[in-house]
Amino acid sequence: MSRLGKWITQNRVYRSIYRNSYPTDDRNRVLVILNSLALHLHPTRVPKRATDVSYTWGLGGLSIFMFVILTITGIFLMFYYIPSVDQAYWSIVELERNVTMGSFMRNLHRWAAHAMVIFVFLHMTRVFYTGSYKPPREFNWVVGVALLVLTFLLSFTGYLLPWDQLAYWAITVGANIAKSTPFIGKQVEFALLGGYEIAQPTLIRWYTLHVIFLPMALIVVVSFHFWRVRKDGNISTPVYEDEEDEVEPISRTQAG
Amino acid sequence: MEMKEPLRPLRKGAPRARSAAAVAAVERREERVHTWPHLVSVELMAALIFLVLLSLMSVVVKAPLGSLANPEVTPDPAKAPWYFLGLQELLLHMNPSLAGVIVPTVVLVGLAALPYIDRRRKGTGIWFSGPKGKAITAFAAFYTAVWELALIFLDEWLPVPGSEARGVAPYLEYLLRPLDLPPVVIDVLGGWLVPIFFMTFIPFSLAVIVRRHWKADTREVAIALYTFFVASFVVLTIIGTAFRGYGMQLMWPWEIGRPIGF
Repeated sequence: MSRLGKWITQNRVYRSIYRNSYPTDDRNRVLVILNSLALHLHPTRVPKRATDVSYTWGLGGLSIFMFVILTITGIFLMFYYIPSVDQAYWSIVELERNVTMGSFMRNLHRWAAHAMVIFVFLHMTRVFYTGSYKPPREFNWVVGVALLVLTFLLSFTGYLLPWDQLAYWAITVGANIAKSTPFIGKQVEFALLGGYEIAQPTLIRWYTLHVIFLPMALIVVVSFHFWRVRKDGNISTPVYEDEEDEVEPISRTQAG
Repeated sequence: MEMKEPLRPLRKGAPRARSAAAVAAVERREERVHTWPHLVSVELMAALIFLVLLSLMSVVVKAPLGSLANPEVTPDPAKAPWYFLGLQELLLHMNPSLAGVIVPTVVLVGLAALPYIDRRRKGTGIWFSGPKGKAITAFAAFYTAVWELALIFLDEWLPVPGSEARGVAPYLEYLLRPLDLPPVVIDVLGGWLVPIFFMTFIPFSLAVIVRRHWKADTREVAIALYTFFVASFVVLTIIGTAFRGYGMQLMWPWEIGRPIGF
């Protein structure tokens, strides 16, 4: 290592942050996973297929990466967006004209949102076609369906916020669909709109759902989803004939 | 009784005592690699590639922003976000409660119930659970697309004698007119029963075909039905997004243009 490298990495402060040296040997390759908050979602070693792009296509990881991009760009947009029917539209026009990187951040937020819907859907499709919903992973598949619904809701609540014609009439279409719910249509519509028409109460309601409630809900549910992936034996691998019918404890064949 | 060899303290490289079950389990394990760097590098590459692609797209393509919301001016066509356009397409062909609420609810409940119906572990970890599954997927996608396109075209263009109206429901009304039935019967027939018949018949006939032709087991029937769901989502979403213009009429994508009042 160069003298500069040594000067940076071999002192008390650096050592207090990174406990192990750069992972060039097996021991440190294990430690770097165990000692990192983000990386320890992973096991220290994985079946080779987990690194094979044509098995997973990285779709679950890309879905959560889109969520990270959306959180960062979303916070940026919140600095400028005003959730009021009189000012919402003009705050976006202002953002696009006068704010450094404003237009870029809004575009990135929009395109990453579409990408997230696509990735989540494709992730579900990958999990289905590789049979990865089968025991012992049944419940995590159900959690995944809940995450698909949360993704749709997150995207749809964001759709109203610009308060342009596109937003207003898309929500009108959505509210009309909700109104046709058998027996409780009127109540569902009232709950969605916060009244009898799309107005200020609707905007503030959807804004709150979009920036706080649904993201928090998604973080809770997706954390459970990740934890459950580990508990259910990590990435799915083919089963042998004598294991086909049993739901066995994972620890014997798949752990570690 | 056989005397067991006493366990020796572990030395580096010494063979470890293992039960037969543990030995079998270890033999079956897939080859394992260290997460760092083998998996972490793949994840980093995927993240960087899509960050760059989306950033480039954000520089080149602007997110749409229409004119200020105006409750007085209804755009034509007024469309939901693209992922709901499949449902909006269904709305054109049946009762709104059925298309907008009941169908998506049934689909979501069906998806969630799937692993409790197809319970055997056989086929886990293999794409399409083998070549048969692949053939079933291709057939199911084709079968679904052909049926749905045919039904969409029929409902769009079926002429009703002696009337300007087109479509299956008006045609039924024309056929049943001599019987002088109350209008609610006609509505239930055209808005509920006929659509429910086709939405049941297509997946049911698909399941029968794959059972007969491929001797499909539960997993393979599940593959056919999931493919029915994905193909329906794709076909309806594409039709709803790219082939519906003014008055939600069927037209070519290049004829659609900007919605009026946008």
